[in-house]
Amino acid sequence: MIRLEHVSKTYKTSTRPALDDVSVDMDKGEFVFLIGPSGSGKSTFLRLLLREEVPTKGKLYVNNFDITRMSRRRIPRLRQSIGCVFQDFRLLVNKTVAENVAFALEVIGKPAHTIRKVVPEVLELVGLDGKANRMPNELSGGEQQRVAIARAFVNRPLMLLADEPTGNLDPDTSQDIMLLLERINRTGTTVLMATHDHSIVDSMRRRVVELSFGRVIRDDARGVYGVGR
Amino acid sequence: MRFSFVLSEVLTGLRRNVTMTVAMILTTAISLGLLGGGLLVVRMIDHMRDNFGDEVEVNVYLSKDVSGTDKDCQQQPCAGIKANLEQDANVEDVRWENQDQAFDRFQRVFAGQPELLQLTRKDSLPATFHLKLKNPDRADVIVQTYSNKPGVDRVEDQGVFLERFFGVLNGVRNGTWVVAAIQAIAALLLISNTIQVSAFTRRTEVGIMRLVGATRWYTQLPFLLEAVVAGLVGAVMAIGGLIGIKAVFIDNVLAEPIAANIIPRIPLLDIFWPVAPILIGVAILISAITGYVTLRLYVRT
Repeated sequence: MIRLEHVSKTYKTSTRPALDDVSVDMDKGEFVFLIGPSGSGKSTFLRLLLREEVPTKGKLYVNNFDITRMSRRRIPRLRQSIGCVFQDFRLLVNKTVAENVAFALEVIGKPAHTIRKVVPEVLELVGLDGKANRMPNELSGGEQQRVAIARAFVNRPLMLLADEPTGNLDPDTSQDIMLLLERINRTGTTVLMATHDHSIVDSMRRRVVELSFGRVIRDDARGVYGVGR
Repeated sequence: MRFSFVLSEVLTGLRRNVTMTVAMILTTAISLGLLGGGLLVVRMIDHMRDNFGDEVEVNVYLSKDVSGTDKDCQQQPCAGIKANLEQDANVEDVRWENQDQAFDRFQRVFAGQPELLQLTRKDSLPATFHLKLKNPDRADVIVQTYSNKPGVDRVEDQGVFLERFFGVLNGVRNGTWVVAAIQAIAALLLISNTIQVSAFTRRTEVGIMRLVGATRWYTQLPFLLEAVVAGLVGAVMAIGGLIGIKAVFIDNVLAEPIAANIIPRIPLLDIFWPVAPILIGVAILISAITGYVTLRLYVRT
């Protein structure tokens, strides 16, 4: 599903590598937390998976795409197989909830009848049935993140990347979002979540990959955020 | 590819930037209008060449005493010149016009200007041989051969005047095209700038599109089409402008010389073909290329 073999990434403007000889394997259907302080390389990790960046060294495979050698023309195919959720939701404020979700399908050329069918389904899955015609600014933070998750999941990607999805939410709402991500994980979708939130990591008891200064310093099958914190 | 989606994106984009869009359309329209004007001048010159080409004459004006005394060209040197001209291999047709006929024609042509008629006496007009040449390009040979013959005042090739007039028209055309080119640069920069602004205002959308795996066609085609649509509207306005200027300005102000067949009428058809398709083609080509280059240089995919 995801395989990094001795991957390093050094940005042109920096002397220190953002990722330094990272090797990680993640299987289909896994739920993995990616933790570490700011600047530890979490964002670079996610950007490499989406091929927003190309590794400086090493080999990288995502959903059977060879990231290091793929042509630019194939990038959209790769990204269609990955769903993305962010801390800041990134919803389109001038579109309704349903339109926001439908947008993700429209721009990859899905036919209208498919869109009409699957958008209500995914809204129900994330618990937003009945709010299809609301505007994003009429929703709470938790609800907005649900819209974002619905949009990321509506095309049934093989993998969901979540970059601090609970960073802007209170603990109770965060818990709800985690339940939703778990539910999505149970459908067979790999979930990779970058986070600072140790209470969530500690309570979920899932695999934890910890980065520090661009290196993997821990990879626990059933981890907690940090010993002694 | 869902055209309804792309189309609605294009319209939203044009509406959102309405001031820039208007500026872009107007500069494009003016630039294309000038280009079209230049093309019409080219057509006009072609028409005139067609019209006058066969009728351009070489005139052999006779000296004052021959003109005054020899009305029917029976005496020397007039009869000799006439015989020479009629036997000349370059000359197809010789028409004799004596002083009386010349004066008649003068009165007809300048009927509207009585002061001129009063001032002009019959004996100031020369008798003339109007020559039609087999090959108008050989006119200079005729001019050289007959200019210094006794009894000949001077020999004039109308083609020389016509070429001078064409020279003026060509200058007008070139001037128009220079201004058109400068306007085109302004239009190009505006198109490029509008696309950049448009891409910036829609960066959230484009970011999401890239993230969910939209192809470049989906992310960039709306911007490209925005430029092309604006270019097309500009072209249509330019064509409308040319038709308007022709109807209001050229047909009215230049009515007399057109009626006298000095300047050919610009047919409306000339604007529709070939000028209109050329303008539309140029508009599409230029706006699409500018859009593409801008997206390549400034907008991340």
